Amino acid sequence: MGAFLQYTVIGLTVGSFYALVALGYTIVYGIIRLINFAQGDLSMVGAFIGWTLLVSLGFQHLPLWLALIAAFVIPMIGTALVNLGILQFAYKPLLHKSLWAILITALGMSLFLENAALQVWGPSINAYPPSMLPSSGFSLGPVHVTFLQVALFLTSLLLMAGLYAFVHGTMIGTAMRALAVDHDAARLMGIDVDQVIRLAFVLGAMLAAASGVMIGIYYTQIQFTMGFLLGLRAFTAAVLGGIGNIPGAMVGGMLIGLLESYTAGYLSGKWETVIVFGVLIAVLVVKPTGIFGERVAERM
Amino acid sequence: MTPVPVPRRSLPAGLELWRRWFDALPFWARVLVFLLIAGVGVWYYNDPYVTAVAVSVATYAILGLGLNIVVGYAGLLDLGYAAFFAIGAYTTALLMTQAHWNFFATLPLAVIMTGTAGAILGYPTLRLRSDYLAIVTLGFGEMTRVAITNWDYAGGPNGVLGIPPPSILGFQLGSQMDFLGVSLFLLGIAMLATHHLDHSRLGRGWVAIREDEFAAEAVGVPSLRLKLLAYVMGGMWGGLAGAFFATRIGAIDPTSFTFQLSVLVLLLIVLGGSGSLPGVLVGSLVVVGLPEALRQFSSQRMLVFSILLIIMMLIRPQGIWPRVRRKPKPFYGLEGGESSDHAVEALRAHQREVEERDRRALTGHRSAGQGEVLLEVKGLVQQFGGLRAVDDVSFEVRRGEIFSIIGPNGAGKTTVFNCITGVQKPRRGSIRFDGRSLVGLPPHAIVSRGLGRTFQGIRLFKNMAVFENVMVGIYPRHRTMTWQAMLHTPGERRDERRTLQEARRWLQFVGLEEEAGRLATELSYADQRRVEIARALASHPRLVLFDEPAAGMNPTEKLELIGVIRKIRDLGITVILIDHDMSLVMRVSDRIAVLDHGVLIALGRPEEIQRDPAVIEAYLGRDEGDEMVEAIGS
Repeated sequence: MGAFLQYTVIGLTVGSFYALVALGYTIVYGIIRLINFAQGDLSMVGAFIGWTLLVSLGFQHLPLWLALIAAFVIPMIGTALVNLGILQFAYKPLLHKSLWAILITALGMSLFLENAALQVWGPSINAYPPSMLPSSGFSLGPVHVTFLQVALFLTSLLLMAGLYAFVHGTMIGTAMRALAVDHDAARLMGIDVDQVIRLAFVLGAMLAAASGVMIGIYYTQIQFTMGFLLGLRAFTAAVLGGIGNIPGAMVGGMLIGLLESYTAGYLSGKWETVIVFGVLIAVLVVKPTGIFGERVAERM
Repeated sequence: MTPVPVPRRSLPAGLELWRRWFDALPFWARVLVFLLIAGVGVWYYNDPYVTAVAVSVATYAILGLGLNIVVGYAGLLDLGYAAFFAIGAYTTALLMTQAHWNFFATLPLAVIMTGTAGAILGYPTLRLRSDYLAIVTLGFGEMTRVAITNWDYAGGPNGVLGIPPPSILGFQLGSQMDFLGVSLFLLGIAMLATHHLDHSRLGRGWVAIREDEFAAEAVGVPSLRLKLLAYVMGGMWGGLAGAFFATRIGAIDPTSFTFQLSVLVLLLIVLGGSGSLPGVLVGSLVVVGLPEALRQFSSQRMLVFSILLIIMMLIRPQGIWPRVRRKPKPFYGLEGGESSDHAVEALRAHQREVEERDRRALTGHRSAGQGEVLLEVKGLVQQFGGLRAVDDVSFEVRRGEIFSIIGPNGAGKTTVFNCITGVQKPRRGSIRFDGRSLVGLPPHAIVSRGLGRTFQGIRLFKNMAVFENVMVGIYPRHRTMTWQAMLHTPGERRDERRTLQEARRWLQFVGLEEEAGRLATELSYADQRRVEIARALASHPRLVLFDEPAAGMNPTEKLELIGVIRKIRDLGITVILIDHDMSLVMRVSDRIAVLDHGVLIALGRPEEIQRDPAVIEAYLGRDEGDEMVEAIGS
C-alpha cells in the first residue's frame, strides 16, 4: 500500500507535466484541427531558455523568488514568440490548403526545433541547478513527499485552473470555444479568427514552456531530444482524455503519468510504452472519443 | 487531399517524341522501361556508394508504395508504419538464421505475418476518427519496437545478427549490384500491384471514402472493410520491404524501426504527392538522397533538411509530382445503336436473379409481389436528447407504389429515412424490408439488401467524374476479388468494362449521358440531383428513397423529374419520396404519409390527404384551412 501511494505521488507529479503539454495539443487541435507535432519540442525550447537564464546568465544566484519568476515567465514568453513565428511562417500559408501538407510541416517543425536546439545548446545533457528548491519533504504515513513535488504539482494545477478560468470566463475564451465548434459561424458572429488562432498558439506554447522548466527543475537535467518522448506521452494523454477537450487533457495527462509510474514500479520501466499505448487502444476501442470526448461527427 | 490537374509543359521536340512513345506504352512496359533505365544507369555509374544509396531509395520506394495505399488512397493517417517493416524484417531474419530458410521462401510468411498484424490492429481501431487513428498507429509502432527490444529470443536490443544474403537457384547473391537487382524486381512488382489497385473498383471505393465517407457508406461501399483492406495491404508491402532490408543489411536491431522511420516514409509520400505513384518514387529519392547529398554539412544536415522540407511544403503543398485526376476514359466496348433499355434489361435480369435466390435460399420466404408489403415500419421512435424527432411512427409501403412522406420542416421525415437506411439506429421500433429486419445493419449492407437513396443536401463525390460517381453506386454488386484487382486479370477487366457501360446507361436513363466525363461539381444543381438518382439506381435497388429531389429545381426540371420518378416505378422499383413541393407530391404519389412533430398524423391517397383537417391544421394552423386546400390542391 505504501509503495502504491508512493508511485501515485510520482505519477501525479510527472502526469501534471504531461497534462500541461497535452493542453497545448488540445487547444490547437480544437481550433484548427492540427496535431501540432512540435508541441513537445516547444517544451524543450522552454526548458533550454530557462536553463540559459538560470545557469548561463547566473539567475540562479538571485533571490529564489526572483529567479523562479524569471525562469518561468521569460521562457513562457520566449516560447510563445517562437510558436507565433512558427504559426505565421509555416502553418498560416497552408491553413486552408491541405491538411496533409500542414501535418508534414508540423513534423518538419519538430525536426527543425530539435536540430536547432542541437546547434544552439549542443548535444550534451545540460544540468539544471540542483538546489533551487529544498529537496527535503515530509512523510504522510508510509509515503514520502518532497516539497518540490508539491510545489510543481500545485504550480501545474494553478496554470490549469488559470487556463480553465480564461477559456470559460473571458470574452475571448468564449470566442475560442465558439471557434472550436464552428469556424464559419464564429466568423459570421464577428470573431477575429486569426486572433483566436494566435491566442491558441500562445497559450499552448506557454503551458509547454512551463512544463519544460518544471521538468528541468524536477529531473535537474535536460537534453535536446527530450521533446520527442514528452510530446508523444502528452499527445497520448490528449487523445486519451478526448482531444479538443480541456479537462480531458488534464485528466489524460495525470492518468498517463500514473500509468507510467505504476508500470515502472510494479513491472519494469521498459514496458512503459507498451502498457501506456495498450491502455490507450483499449480505451479508444471501448469509447472511441476518449474519456471526455463528446460525440462529434467528423462530417455529417 | 484533392488531386490537382497539372498542365503539362511541352518538352523540346526530340524529348517530346520519346515521351509520347513512353505514354503510349501499357503500364507494365512503362514500369519495365523505368526500372531498366534506373538499373542500367546505376550499373554503368559503377560506384559502390551510389549503388548502395540506390538500393536504399528502392527500399524506401517499396515502403512508400505500401504506405501510399493507406495514406494516399484510403486517406488514413498511419504513424506507425515502421512496425510492419520491423515485423517483416524479424520474420525473415529469424527464419533465415534459426531455421535456415531461403530468403525467397520467407517472403510469403513475412507478408502473411504483417498482414495478420495489420488485421488484428486494424479491425477494432479503423472505425475511429482519422486523428485518433494517428495516435493508435503511432502507439502500435512504438509497442512493436519496445516489444522487439525486450524480446530475448530475437536478441533483445542487439537484434538478429548474421542474416545471410539471399540465394537464388544455387547462386549466392551478395554484392550491392545483386541487391539492386532484387530491390528493383520487388519495386516493379509493388508498382504494378499498387497501380492496378488504384485503378480498380477498390481504388474507386477508396476515393469515395476519402471524399465523403458517410455518402460512400450510404451508397453501398463497405467503408470499414475497405479501410481495413488498405491498412492490411499497405502493411504487407511494408513487410516485404522489411524482409529485403533484413537480408541486405545482414544484422537488424530495434533502432532501425523507430518512429522516425514511420515519419520519413509518410514524409516521402506527402512530399512526392499523396496518392501519386511517381510521387512516391521522387519522394524516396529526395528523402534518401537529400540527406546523403547534404553530408558536407555534417552535423547540421538534419537542420538543413528540415528547413528544406518546410520550404518545400510551403511552395508546393500538393507535392512535387501530384496525383493527376484521372481523365475520363472514352466509353470503349459500346456498340452503336445501343439504347438505355440495356440498363433496364440488366436491372430486370438482376431483379429476377435476386428473387430466384431468395426463393431458393429461404424456404418459406417469398419476396413481396406486386402490391404486397415491401417495407414495414412499426412503432419507430428516435430521440435526440430531450427531443423526440420521430414518435411511434408506423406505416407500410407496398411494392410498386410511389409513397410520399410530407410534413413541415422538422417533422422528422429525414430522420425516418436515416433510420430506414441504417445511418441512425432507431431508439425503438422495427423496420422490416421484404420480411427481414434492417435494424442494426450498417448502411452498406442495407444497400446490398436492395435499398438505394439520395440525399437532401447533395452528396456527390466532388472530385470524381460524373460517370465515376455512378460507378461507385455499382460497387455493392461487384464480385471482383482483391487479388484479381491487384493482378488486373481478364475477369477484372471485363467487370470494369461492364461497370463502365452500366454507369453510362444509367446516366442515359436520367438524361445525362453527355455530361458523363465532367466533374460532378461542374453540373447544375438539378443535374447533380439526377446524378444522385442514377447513382442510387446503379445499385439495382428494389426500393429507392429520394430526399427532396425537387429542391432547387425550376418548373420544367420538376416536370422532367416527375417523368423520371414514374419511369423508375415502371421498372418495378418502389419509390419513397420526401418533398415540399405539393404539386409534385400530389401528382406523382399513390399514397402519402404526413408527419408533424415526429407523429404520423395522416396516411392515405392524395385526395384524402388534401381534405384531412389534421393535415391542414399542421400546415397552416386552424381557421385558415381553405387556403391550404388551395395551396396543396393546385
